Order: sequence, then structure tokens, then C-alpha cells
Amino acid sequence: MSIPFTLNGKPAAYEGSATDRLVDILRKDFKCPGVKVGCNEGECGACSIIMDGVLINACMVAAGRAYDTEIITIEGFRETEKFAVLDRCFAETGAVQCGFCTPGMILAAECILTKNPNPNEAEIRDGLSGNMCRCTGYNAIVHAVALAAKEGKGLW
Amino acid sequence: MVNGYAPQTLREALEIKRKEQVSPYGGGTDLMVDHHRTGTYLFLHRIAEMQEIKQDDNYLRLGAGCTFTEVQEHALTPPILKEAISRIAAPAIRNLGTIGGNIGNGSAKADSVLVFFALDAKLRLMDADGERIVPIHAFYKGRKALDLALDELIVEILLPRVIPTRYVYHKIGARAALAISRLSFAGLWNVEGGKITACSTAFGAIDQVVVRIPEVDKILIGTPVAELDSVKERYLAAAGEAINPIDGRISAHYRKTVCLNLLDDFVETMKKA
Amino acid sequence: MAEISGSVVKVDHGPKVRGEARFVADYPMEGILYGKTLRSDRARAKIQAINVPELPMGYVVADARDVPGKNGVLIIGDDTPVFAAETVEFVGDPIAMVAGPDEAEVERILREIEVEYEDLEPVLDMRKSEKVFYEYGYEKGEVDKAFAEADKVYEEILQTGHQEHGYLETQGITVVPLAGGKVKVHGSIQCPYYVRKALVLALGIEPGDIQVIQDVTGGGFGGKEDYPSMIGARVAVTALKAGKPVRVVYDRREDMATTSKRHPTYSVYKAAVKDGKVTAMDIDLLYNAGAYTTISMVVLQRGTICSNGVYNIPHMRAHGRSVKTNSVPNGAFRGFGAPQVFFAVEMFMAHIAKDLGVDPVAFKEAHFVKKGDKTSTNGIFHHGVPLPQMNEKLLTASDYWAKREAYASQPKGRYQRGIGMSYSFHGGGFTGTGERDIIKAVAALQKYPDGKVEILTSGTEMGQGLFTTFAKIVAKELDCPIDQIIVKLPDTDRVPDSGPTVASRSIMVVGELLRRAAAKIKAEWKDGEAQRVEERFQQPEWQIPFNYDTFQGDAYPTFSWGAHCVEIEVDTYTGEQKVIGAWACYDVGTPIDTTVVIGQMEGGFLQGIGYAHMEQMNYDKKGRIRSNSYSDYTMPTAADVPKMEMHLCVEEYPEGPFGAKGAGELPLVGVPGAYVNALEQAIDKDFCHIPVTMEDTLTHWREGGQA
Repeated sequence: MSIPFTLNGKPAAYEGSATDRLVDILRKDFKCPGVKVGCNEGECGACSIIMDGVLINACMVAAGRAYDTEIITIEGFRETEKFAVLDRCFAETGAVQCGFCTPGMILAAECILTKNPNPNEAEIRDGLSGNMCRCTGYNAIVHAVALAAKEGKGLW
Repeated sequence: MVNGYAPQTLREALEIKRKEQVSPYGGGTDLMVDHHRTGTYLFLHRIAEMQEIKQDDNYLRLGAGCTFTEVQEHALTPPILKEAISRIAAPAIRNLGTIGGNIGNGSAKADSVLVFFALDAKLRLMDADGERIVPIHAFYKGRKALDLALDELIVEILLPRVIPTRYVYHKIGARAALAISRLSFAGLWNVEGGKITACSTAFGAIDQVVVRIPEVDKILIGTPVAELDSVKERYLAAAGEAINPIDGRISAHYRKTVCLNLLDDFVETMKKA
Repeated sequence: MAEISGSVVKVDHGPKVRGEARFVADYPMEGILYGKTLRSDRARAKIQAINVPELPMGYVVADARDVPGKNGVLIIGDDTPVFAAETVEFVGDPIAMVAGPDEAEVERILREIEVEYEDLEPVLDMRKSEKVFYEYGYEKGEVDKAFAEADKVYEEILQTGHQEHGYLETQGITVVPLAGGKVKVHGSIQCPYYVRKALVLALGIEPGDIQVIQDVTGGGFGGKEDYPSMIGARVAVTALKAGKPVRVVYDRREDMATTSKRHPTYSVYKAAVKDGKVTAMDIDLLYNAGAYTTISMVVLQRGTICSNGVYNIPHMRAHGRSVKTNSVPNGAFRGFGAPQVFFAVEMFMAHIAKDLGVDPVAFKEAHFVKKGDKTSTNGIFHHGVPLPQMNEKLLTASDYWAKREAYASQPKGRYQRGIGMSYSFHGGGFTGTGERDIIKAVAALQKYPDGKVEILTSGTEMGQGLFTTFAKIVAKELDCPIDQIIVKLPDTDRVPDSGPTVASRSIMVVGELLRRAAAKIKAEWKDGEAQRVEERFQQPEWQIPFNYDTFQGDAYPTFSWGAHCVEIEVDTYTGEQKVIGAWACYDVGTPIDTTVVIGQMEGGFLQGIGYAHMEQMNYDKKGRIRSNSYSDYTMPTAADVPKMEMHLCVEEYPEGPFGAKGAGELPLVGVPGAYVNALEQAIDKDFCHIPVTMEDTLTHWREGGQA
């Protein structure tokens, strides 16, 4: 009767209600506090995760929708080589200020580059457009993604 | 699972829908906004037959379970629909939200629905006993009022194989992304032998349901492109009679003015094309 | 550029980028109760009764009767109740708090509590308010004479709306009751010592019995300056009643509907012009304080002092009032009362220029203050004013003159463009002698036997880069690598009170204390020994004491400067506005890390763009905020702006560390003036308010003009 899914490469199962919010489950039951709650209505992207290879908002997902899916959160992604490149580039441009949007931004950046290893500025901005940041004005983040495309050539 | 079903076939899903009161769960992006952790969800994401995009002799058939992203990236998708989808929320929402859900939510602000209205789409609805096909304009009976029985599911959206090739799409939101439509416009037309041979317009977010004005569209049909100027005034006057937006976050007067401005520009675009 | 201005990896980068940084909501809930706030749904009413349903075991409801000390949150005044007792004064006014182990059950109890009200007539329009919280005024020169001798007199009404901070992390606090009646507080806090001070009054216990620790904080912008004192008091009262730790984390809608915002204003500006120059201004300002005073006093002071902008107005009179309305109390927000008046004066100057038939940039430049000039309050601009160089830089970077000319003669079409410029300053630190007389900052360095040095201040890191810049200042002075410096989230049990992290004061004031402490520790350095050095604030001798009664003297020791240019395209058929170019030049003295400073500039600039047109928050007739979600209150996304081009100009401040001065607030303050001036050119229409909506910029109205 459980909901099986893969979390950061490992099998997982949720025994609770299929109507529970995935973001709450990830934070509480699966100890992924890097998935942040900013608005609980799909308007800020702080809870961004990767589900079956695409960026989604974990607050917009009921647990049952995770049935049979593969989920990656910042807790899993931070162990990858691609993360290491993004980490360096975000540091270089000063793309992290308060840090609340950052895990979501990193995963959004990963999805932009997976889809298009050489994005132009407009494509980067579109790719980040669901991830709200109130601190940076976005310049540094956009710059970081462009830099990662260059420095991580071949990875994506 | 507790409080939910995640069937793998449409047949299973329809059987569940017949037996139990369940909320169909497409992408969840509307359901989860007013989320109260109650009820039972019928998750549709594992049903492969609801996620196909294919064409037959009459229709381009879009599975109701296709996400916006899947529709946007498909080679068969009409350009106007791609453009409308590109303005929906943001990538993460487009990756979850489904076109069936956009229709089932029953909102006149739904961006893909506007295009389905403009294209005279039909909906294929099924229950455990069979199916029926309903034109989208008949499906919407009012705000959140749909011609959908408790045991039915929206299974496919059927678009005509042949649609006008030229189009204008304009969405007005409060910002460039993550914006709910304050007003949206879709206009399609064809030109053959120097004459307008088809014209179809639709307006979103100005009334309880998407607004179509086929009798006004007709004024342009048959008009030589070179003579559009001579009918423009009559056309806009007729549109002004036909379009009567409601007040909301923005005023009815603004909405009406902008609708007419966009139609004015629509005719100007036809002249140039 | 000075050596210190080179950029380093921020000291808090690692845990944040890896998602390991712990915000208040990230601590496990084991043993902690969920707290939720019961709020008024009336704008103004008497509370007749609070009917609480029977509570299950383990659940508590706390209200005004449970406040052990005074039922007032000490901010400047203490009129904000911990819990409303007799009356409610705005929609959202907290009446009680429910706490218990299961969140859903807490919500159920909250829904079932019935409050009986006797409705009273609310005052929602600030112009109709009869309750004046604060009133200030000052005069310099001979105002009446200048008006009498003027060639022409101008008058304009200028208005600004609410602005919501919109920090990504909502407000949240945990309070843990400890043995012996002590409490430990941790959460999303901008000013730990403010929270402690408020709890002393509300709980009636000694400062030493209250420990306040900042958790990693997801943005503040002023919104977490006074508000955590209120939540802190409420949660503490509830936790003491429950005898268990309680945590409150607001959801987004609750946060947006009930926490402080930028004050809306209504200003009347009058100017006397003689021989093409403004000789006098007479300014009357009205700030909507909302239901309680919170920090409106200081917001109004700053607004009143800055009301003439960057212009040398020889004769001026300014008068400001801050009045009560039955709406959410407005508080601190980046710029602190100044963005409202900078918008007003920038538009007013532009409109006068237009009437005189001169370009606004040339007109404004002719009025720029310069070093040695008197300030509005008869203080002195003691240091260099680099506005002319900054202006030149921007005019070139943006190609202003060519664009301005081209857009002036653009053919009328659906899409029209405009370009505009604006100027601002921001005085660093507390107004007047506040640093000396009120704050009395103390900062310390603790050297450990292994040679590492820990920074001890109450300065908080909220994303603005303070821990990095503090560490750089100390490392530079000690001439050691930055990894030898320890900076931790402040804990009132461990750090001295170096003042609140507000008012663009942290680098300029506290950073200098740290630099001096580092110099001292270096001079007295003993290998292998623990050493501690403390430094206290001293007011510069040359600063002219500020008189709070007459508003005369140096309101600020020095100023940071800003120039902004915005280029816009308007769809005149729909009123949609699009920023197509954005440039700014700022002088914050020596940048202590250029990347950090540029990050502040870009972020502040975009908040200014939002303030000018996208961010709208209004009340309905019942005093309810309708735009209480990220969906309805639209802040800019990455797709709403082009790349902003930031320039720096360095006018060193001799009293700041390595020449640095205030930076945090400056970039937002002057932006709306440039934005709206660009709009005005695009559609040839004057505006006297922000936010400017799509309906405002739709020019092709049909059927009898604009509704």
C-alpha cells in the first residue's frame, strides 16, 4: 500500500497519505531539508527538485504523483561532478546571497544545461523564471549558469 | 496507497472513477494550490494511453495527460499552441501541469484552453461504459461549470487536422513569467488568392469562460486583404458590441479597450502579412 | 581599486549552495510544538469574548491574559500588544496563539475558536486619520521670502504605495523554555538584541535570562528588523504557558498579509523657481504608519530629512507626519522612509524641468549638492560628492543623450520607448547622534591560542555578505588569510551589542570597530595565548551634533551616492511596460569585496524596479490585503529584466574601514524616479505616483477615455 519511488538513487517508499505534499514528505520523512518551502503554491521555486529528469516544484506535487518516479534533490545532486562545477561558478559570481533560493536555483541551472548545454542569456532567464530570488537581482545567477556552461563543457 | 490510486491503464482508471468519488489528478498544479489534504486522488501520470500525441485522418489527438512541456516540444503541435504554452507559469510548472488538467480546472484564464477555443477543439470524454465527443465551447457551461459527469474523464483533446496557418497570440500578465493571464488573445487566419478565407479569434480572462465571437470573425472572411481597411471600422464596431468583459482585478473598461486594440492590430497585421 | 576590494568566496557560500545551511524551519520538530496565530478578521473592533473549544491534552491557547510582563512589544514605543486585549486595530492583529504537537490539530483548534466582536468604524485612508503618531518639521533659509520673489511657483502631489519585502524565507521563531524561567530564542532574526529587549518587557524577566540566537536567515531587507520582536514575544508567552518549546513559521499568505511593509505616502511639494533655478521648497509629507507605531518615528525622520533629494535648495521647509490607520503596521524596508521622498523629489524636479523646457538631467545636475554645501538640516556635506562623475559615467554607458533625443521624436506607434535618470543618496548609520547616544556599539575580537580570531558582534548575515566583509576587514588588518577568522551566527550570550543590522551601518560603523580591534590585537599579539579586545563607538569630532527638536545639524556623518538610468518600452495598446536597459553607478566608498557590493547593488536596483511598477498591494474597503500571495503580489522574475549594468565610483570615507561607507539600502532608494521618468518620455504623460500600473500606461483608450 506504499508509494514507491527512487530518491537520490536509492529506493524509497512513503506509507502515508497520497494527498500529502511531496515537499513536506521530503523535508520531514526523508530528511531532505535542502528542499525549501517558500510559498506552497508553485510561485517561487524554492522547493525545486528533479523528477524523472525534469525540474518540478515539490510543493505542487501530491505524494501519489511520485509513484514510480525518480527524484533528485539537492542532497543527492550535491554529490555529482556537475554540482561541483555549478558550486564553483555560483561562488565565482556571488550568486548566493541569503541562500534560501539557492538549492532550487542550482537544480534549475542543472535542468537548463541538461536541456541545452549552450544556452544564451534569454534561455537562461527563461529557465530560471520560476525560481524567485529577492536578493541578487538575478544577474549573478544568470552569469553563473553561463559560466558553468563554459567551464563544465562536455559534462552536460 | 492511502487516499489515492495510481492506475496504469485508462480502463482501470475509469472503473475507479465509476465506483468512487475521486478527484482526477493530472499535473496537480491547480489542485495543490488549494490543498486541504482531504479526499482521494486518482493519479493519471502512469497511464501511457493518455500521454500520446498522434494524428489520424481528421484530428491531431493530444492525450489529456500530456504535460505542457511535452506538448510544447512535440513536432506536431501547432505553433500558436507552442507559443501560448511558452507563456504559462515557468518551466517547472509546465513540466507538471497537463493540458487535460488545464481544461478540467474550468478557468477562463487557462492559457492552453484559449487556443483550444480558437481552434474549435473537441474533447473526447470517457466513462467506463463508453465515450462521447464534445466541442470545447459546449463543454464549458460557466465558471468551474463543465459538461463532465462524475464518472467521466477528459481523455483527449482533438484539434482539426487543418487549421489556419497565420496567427497572433498575446498574453497580458503582471510579469514576464509566473503570471496569471489578465487578458489573453488568440487570432488565426488564412489568406488564399488575396482574400481572407478563414478567421477565428478568442479572448481569455475577460469573462467566466473564454469568449468567441464567430459572427464578428465572419465579417473579415471573404474580404480581400487589400480592402481590409474598408471593413475595419465595421468589424471593430461589431466586436465592441459583442465583447463585454467583466470587472476584476483590472477594470472591464481596460479589458474591453485592450481587446479592441488587439483586434485593431490583428487587422493591421493581416494587411501586412 | 583597493586591494581589499578584490573578491573572495563568501564565507557562508558552502553550506548554502549545498542545501546544508539550517534555517529555522529546518530543525527537526521532535519535542517542539507547532504554533499558529489567531488573528482578527476585522479592521477595528472591540473584543467581547474569545471562546476556545475544549482542548485535547497537550494543546494550549495563549492570549493577552497569559502575558507575564507588560502586554506590549517594546520596539521604540510599546503600543504594539503582544496579543490584542481590548480592541483589534487591523485585519490580522494577533489575538491568541494555539500550540500543540500535531499541526493539523492546531489548525483545527484555530478554526474553532470564536471571537465575538463589536465592530468599530475603521480609518483606512491616511488623509482622514486624526491620530498623529509623530510630527517633525524644520526650516532653513528664508522660505517665504524666496516664494515671494519667485518667477514661478510649482506645486505637486506625489504618492507612493506599499511595498512588501518578499524575502524568500518567511518569518519564523522557535522559543525554548529553560530551567529557572529562562528562555532561549532562535530564528530568522535581523536584530537579536531587539528581540531580547522586547522579551524583557513582555516576560518581565532579566536580559540575562534571555538568550537570542540568529538562525541562517533567508533575506530581511528590513522586514525582520522589528517583526521578530513581535513573533518572539508571542511565541515566548505561548512556550512558557505550554512549558515546552514552540515554533512558529508563517506561511506565505500569512506573512504577506500581516507583517510590516513600506509606508505608503502622500506628499505635497511646492517649489519657488527664480532665474531657472529652484530657490526654495516647501514640503509636506504624510506617512501611513498603520495600526501601531513600531518604528515609524525613525522612518519619518529619515524621510523628512531627505525630502529635498540630492539638490541644494537654499531655502526649504519640510514638515512630516506619520499617522495611524487601521491597517498592517508599516515598518523598516531598505531605504527606510527615503525611497518615498526620493521618488517625489525626482519627479517634481523633472516636471519643473519639463515646464521650463530643459532636459531633466541638465536641470537636476545644475542643482546637485557638492562638498561643503549645507544639508537640509544645516549640517554639512563633509566629504566629496561624486555625483557629476557618476552622472557622466552613466550618460556614456547608457548613451542617454542620443536615446533621449531619438525617443523624443519617435513616431507614434504601438511600441514606444523612453529613457530616464534619477539620483539619490543614503546617509549611513543611525540618524543624528543615534549611534553615540542610543546604539553605543561595542564590537569584540577573541583570539584563541591557535591564532584564530573570532569576530564577536551582533551583526547578522541575511544574504548581504556581512560575515564575508567583516572577516575580510579583520583578516586584512591582521594581514592573515581569511580562513583564520571565525564568524558565527550571533548569540546574545556570546556577543556584545554592536547594534542592529540596519541603516547601512554595519560596515561603516561596526566594520570600523572591528578594524580598530584588529589593529589593537595585532599590536598586542602574543603567540599561543588567548586575547580579547573590545572597541566602542566614538562619534567623529567634526560631526555637527544633531538636535532632534529643531532638526538642525548633521543628520548623517556621510553619504553614499547613487545615479540610475532606466530604458523602457511601453506597449501602448495594452499598457505593458518592459525594461530594456538598466544602468546604475554607486559610490559606497571603498568596496569591501566588489562582488558582494555589486550583488547588493543589483538586488536593490531590481527591488526598486519592482517598487516602481510591478509590486502592488492594496486594501479592500474592509481593510483586507488582497494581494497576499506571490502570485498576486508580483515581484520581478529573472525574465523581467535585462542584464543590469552596475558601475562603482569610489569616494573614500576616512572614518570607515579602509574608506568604506554604507551600501545596503542605497541601490533601491532612487530607482523609481528613473523608471517613471523613462515611462513619461515613452508615452508623453506625467506621473505622480507609484506603482504605475498597466492601466496607467495604456494610452489608446476607447469609448470616452480612461475610466
